[in-house]
Amino acid sequence: MMKPSPIAVVLAFAVAVFLLLPLIAVIPVSFTPARFLSMPTGIWSLRHYQALIDNPAWLQATGLSIRIGILSSGIATLLALMFSLGIWMFRPWFSGLLFGFVLLPMVAPPVVSAITLYFFLIGLSKINSIVAYDTWIGVAIAHAVMIAPFAVVMVTVSLSQVDRRIDLAARGFGASVGQRVFKVILPTIRFGVLTAFFLSFVLSWEEIGVTLFITSIDAVTLPRMMWMGLRDNIDPAIAAISVILIVVVISAVLIKTAIAQREKM
Amino acid sequence: MHGGHEAAEITAAGIGKAYGDFHALSDISLTIGSGEFLTLLGPSGSGKSTFLMILAGFEEPTSGKLHKDGLDITRVPAEKRAFGMVFQGYALFPHMTVEQNIAFPLKVQKRSARDIKRRVDDMIARVGLRGHEHKRPAGLSGGQQQRVALARALVFEPSVLLLDEPFSALDKNLRGAMQEEVRRLHQETGTTFVFVTHDQSEALALSTRIGIFNQGRLQQIGTPKDVYERPANRFVAEFLGDVNFLSLSSVKPTDDGAEGLFEGRPMRISAPGQAISAQFAIRPEHMVLFEQAPRDGNMLQATIGDVTYLGAETRFSLKTPGGIDLVLQMPTREVTGAFAPGRSVWAGWPANQGFFL
Amino acid sequence: MTLDRLKPVLLLGPLVLFLGLAYFVPFLGVMQWSVTLPEPGIGQYGKAISDPLIHSVFLRTFRICLIVTVASVVCAYAITYVWVRGTPLQRLLTELCILIPFWISVLTRAFGWVALLSNRGLLNTWMQSLGIISEPLTMVRNEFGVVLGMTHFLIPFAVFPIASAMRSLDERVFLAARGMGASQMRTFWTIFVPITLPGILGAGLMVFVFALGFFITPAILGGGRSVMIAELIYLRIFQSPDWGLGAAVSVLLMVFVGVLLALLVRFVRPNRMLG
Repeated sequence: MMKPSPIAVVLAFAVAVFLLLPLIAVIPVSFTPARFLSMPTGIWSLRHYQALIDNPAWLQATGLSIRIGILSSGIATLLALMFSLGIWMFRPWFSGLLFGFVLLPMVAPPVVSAITLYFFLIGLSKINSIVAYDTWIGVAIAHAVMIAPFAVVMVTVSLSQVDRRIDLAARGFGASVGQRVFKVILPTIRFGVLTAFFLSFVLSWEEIGVTLFITSIDAVTLPRMMWMGLRDNIDPAIAAISVILIVVVISAVLIKTAIAQREKM
Repeated sequence: MHGGHEAAEITAAGIGKAYGDFHALSDISLTIGSGEFLTLLGPSGSGKSTFLMILAGFEEPTSGKLHKDGLDITRVPAEKRAFGMVFQGYALFPHMTVEQNIAFPLKVQKRSARDIKRRVDDMIARVGLRGHEHKRPAGLSGGQQQRVALARALVFEPSVLLLDEPFSALDKNLRGAMQEEVRRLHQETGTTFVFVTHDQSEALALSTRIGIFNQGRLQQIGTPKDVYERPANRFVAEFLGDVNFLSLSSVKPTDDGAEGLFEGRPMRISAPGQAISAQFAIRPEHMVLFEQAPRDGNMLQATIGDVTYLGAETRFSLKTPGGIDLVLQMPTREVTGAFAPGRSVWAGWPANQGFFL
Repeated sequence: MTLDRLKPVLLLGPLVLFLGLAYFVPFLGVMQWSVTLPEPGIGQYGKAISDPLIHSVFLRTFRICLIVTVASVVCAYAITYVWVRGTPLQRLLTELCILIPFWISVLTRAFGWVALLSNRGLLNTWMQSLGIISEPLTMVRNEFGVVLGMTHFLIPFAVFPIASAMRSLDERVFLAARGMGASQMRTFWTIFVPITLPGILGAGLMVFVFALGFFITPAILGGGRSVMIAELIYLRIFQSPDWGLGAAVSVLLMVFVGVLLALLVRFVRPNRMLG
């Protein structure tokens, strides 16, 4: 095994610092006492955190993001699971074409997708008020479109690790399509499906590129709320919410790493 | 033992499989007798596995018909054929215990819980997996996984059991033990076994008949002794073992074979029923070395090149005065000090050994 | 039998139908404006190619994307090397430094740079108070800020294909090289880097494609001064309703992305990268 030289380690360390720097920078800014975004002066205050609690809009935005995340990742994961199973089990000759088709929202520039979904939802607004522009279900549908390709990739990758012969074995013993799916394939890829659902949820939770175009005042998700506070006069509450989000992510990553480390031992 | 196995007879007529312009199989016709142990033998890419997949119903042939006990099953999918199958790498369900794996085919058939329990218990006992019922495949050794795969394939008493290179992942000692096990299960159940392998010695040891495949065609089908001692063509002869070719001149048919000359020395070959040709072939172990010219049988003079010690057998490379290279193999205990490199010796064999190609 | 034939359709159909209705049809609807608005014809493409403003935006986008791609891939290579081949502790620390930013949203990360680098940000305040500078340095709301923010965002994405290339290589190659007397430095440059080149190319193409469509980071860190293609499309469609031109620029961008993706599929085989 060739170990990295000291130079390599120093370079990697520099990149690591670069990656963490802006995340660390947010912390002192969130504890300042001034009403506007300012730099730490030695006086600490929790007023920006208080502002998050006092302004019900933040809580509402969080609740909305969770609702949209669950609905959109549920739709995306379910449809992606069915699609990937169909491709894997039946291997139609045009599967390459189908893959290209369903991956389109992932590879198209986000701004093009955003315009597409904007006009799609505007069109729907003319005929109903539930799945429409600036409604939570409308946003969830748009998110489902954007994250479905990622779910397809995740499920397909975990299916590609399944030994095809176990499916052949099930067929040989007379199992129906339903028995093959529920008794043999799904139990072997359940972690992959859970991961796909989790990733889909996170992608919806963070989605802003499309959300920006399809919401205005009613369906304000958490990223949308942050965006509004970031554009002109920066609202220091952004710093507080950012610190909270960073802490959540760090805890999640640390827990996951700790579990992975324990499994290794 | 539960005598419920109904062995089936399968007939393939003109089976072919083409992928575009590539013909994976051409015109395969054979009958697999009820209760037979038929081995499909051939190098990789010879079409033997494709043929097995067609027998199993996982692939449809592009031409030809398949019958089981007289019924056309060509278009019947695998799910409806209910043949037992043992896969290369076993294909055990990783999330199920040994017991659940073996019970799977019975559950699919919606047998009663009591029936399932009884049959699974019986099968576990028969393949010697008592005490491992609640383990997952990952916790089992290769040989144990193999036993689970066999038990799972036989538990629902299929009329045909298909085995696709089941021993390829096992080391040599274990392989021998598992071959014994498979042979025993074949005798006990009486089911028709179709076995795919690329290992000649495995095929010769296990089968009642062997079908040899090459380049998508069935080259020959017959008993192990037939195909080994009377191969239909050069491919079969060379695939089943080493073989020496002697070009004869002045070949004349006789009552039971032929006469001819090899490097001026007369040869008399007894080969009833064989097509006579100038190409005579003999396997290395069918010849014996002599210090002096033997009194009868065929013989030729040669000089010893290399001597290779193989344990029970010793292998000699020989050169005839005419410059032809030959290989000869004989039991080590019959080797004397006179058979050393550079020595001139005689190689002889009885008139009824060897075959024409 | 007919039911059996229907089963693939029942599995594949829902997603295809969903994306067809909610994405593909409206997508085609938007794209066809490029040849129908304001009047039928390919005039909008001519305009998109000849308009000096659009020209300069395309050039700026390519320039920024190129710088960002090189910077992210180099940084990713350095950190991935230690992540894959370092001591257990080094691996753990680099893994955390890669994964934590990866899961944090683009907004939070862009905001972090604003807090750090703006005129009244941490860095300027700190340097002024130490007397290193008298006037604040402009580090965001310009192209520098955009490049910095995009590079920061894209490094974790570049890590994965490079890591997969570094993991899949045969350890014995190094033993062989060292057995022949090559120094560690030489082994790295003449063996390790060339063998992992597909991973580098894959990461580069992927990062470049991502960067082309960037919208959020430039909007926050560019301060409207260095407009990139995505923002241009947005402006054409929503600010100065010029749908035909906006759609034409979109189509050109899509074609460009398509060509890059075809290269990616052809040369780097993404299925290997994903696995």
